[in-house]
Amino acid sequence: MEIGKTMSVCPVCLARIPAVKTVGEDGNIYLEKKCWEHGPFRTLIWEGDLESYGNWASSDSNAAVTPVHAVVPEKGCPYDCGLCQNHERDGCCVLLELTNRCNLRCPVCFASAGEQKPHDLTLEEIGKQYDLLMERGGPFNIQLSGGEPTMRDDLDRIIALGREKGFSFFQLNTNGLRLAHEEGYAEHLAGAGVSTVFLQFDGLEDEIYRILRGAPLVQIKLRAIERCREAGLPVVLVPTVAPGVNDHALGNILRFALEHAPHVRGVHIQPISYFGRCGLEAPEIRLTIPAVLRRIEDQTGGLMKAADFGGGGAESPYCSFHASFLRKPDGTLKALPRRRSQCCCVKSSDARDFVSQQWSGKAACCDGDSDTASLDAFLQQTVENTFTVSGMVFQDAYNLDLDRLRRCYICEVDSEQGMVPFCAYNLTDIHGKALYRK
Amino acid sequence: MAEKNYYTIDPDGKLTCMKCGVRLEKGKAKFLYLDNGFPVELPVCPKCGFIYVPEELALGKVLSVEKALEDK
Repeated sequence: MEIGKTMSVCPVCLARIPAVKTVGEDGNIYLEKKCWEHGPFRTLIWEGDLESYGNWASSDSNAAVTPVHAVVPEKGCPYDCGLCQNHERDGCCVLLELTNRCNLRCPVCFASAGEQKPHDLTLEEIGKQYDLLMERGGPFNIQLSGGEPTMRDDLDRIIALGREKGFSFFQLNTNGLRLAHEEGYAEHLAGAGVSTVFLQFDGLEDEIYRILRGAPLVQIKLRAIERCREAGLPVVLVPTVAPGVNDHALGNILRFALEHAPHVRGVHIQPISYFGRCGLEAPEIRLTIPAVLRRIEDQTGGLMKAADFGGGGAESPYCSFHASFLRKPDGTLKALPRRRSQCCCVKSSDARDFVSQQWSGKAACCDGDSDTASLDAFLQQTVENTFTVSGMVFQDAYNLDLDRLRRCYICEVDSEQGMVPFCAYNLTDIHGKALYRK
Repeated sequence: MAEKNYYTIDPDGKLTCMKCGVRLEKGKAKFLYLDNGFPVELPVCPKCGFIYVPEELALGKVLSVEKALEDK
């Protein structure tokens, strides 16, 4: 049964083709499309019934926001990203790919890091990218990414340059190897102004890391987290979740994160997508949002419930899930009201402020002549005891829905292209050939 | 419609209650929001009890507390 129409691409040739959303014989929701040259494709997009699929977006009433200095589209979505005039969001979080070097060789890597000739952006190029972002609606939250950004020795200068240009939130996306191995490195990063560390953390079993990262890394991850704690660097654990590899490990990851709060601020789950280098087969097997939430509820023994979660507000609700919990002294959690249901106008700037406050553990404060210590104490306590679990379901050539893509606010900055939505920038055909990434 | 004033500010920055004509003094007040009380000290009129809430406080910490309690 057909329930909706959208546009997508052929996974073989990346030609734009019509797609329909259907209810399958198993009751789940699928995206179906047909390329005249390469045949039909059918991809699972929602492991749940039609009602749950509809309800997930029930309070989604966000109006479109045209990006600042949008480019004029010629070929249409997804070929003219930059962002183009048809995009419906301005930016929120922007990735700077500082280097393509990496000290791991993961069998799965959206950036296919380590396959090309080593290349680092120069400070001058980075400065120009900052300028470009400010011209296009910045300051945004900056994600220092790669490759592995800690392969560089000048992150302090890169952050200082960003501050000069007007940016204030710097998230470091890292595998944690250098943090674990190098004495004093966490302190160095904290002093340099890193706001939060997004630590790749796929579980607490070495076998998981052997499959996804090509090496046993549990002890290294634990040491990296400890070093960050000592340095006062907030950490968010970021598991890439692959079915059959570590989808059984979500409960352990969440419990571990809670035990290490508040310096571990939360967990950001990324179900695996099939773009870039992906050594895993069978892209038809997917972890969709309801499947992840069911695993969370089952594996935490109901400590976190699927019903506690809601879809994203600034982006398409089908791109993400999110819940905030207040940790109570007895170890239980109180689910905080879902943000989106409370607000009908979550803009990217709101998402940006929320991301910034939630992941860095700093309460917004102001000075005054009055004595407002009780408010300060409450705010500090709230921030320290709030634990956030979120996730983002990236799109690949199989499940790409251009309606979703037009609402993306997570962009890669590219010196030539401008701001390109993450899922467009990393889109590859079945042979690994990229649409944007060079 | 002209904005109604409840206080005046002296050149030296001191606040005066418009209604009673007396200077505001630092006094105890309490923000109540969704069953939560927050005792604070703010400029208060000793005569009529008018409480002056600085704009930056209302739009800063108080708004943050409301957002935290309501997650709005």
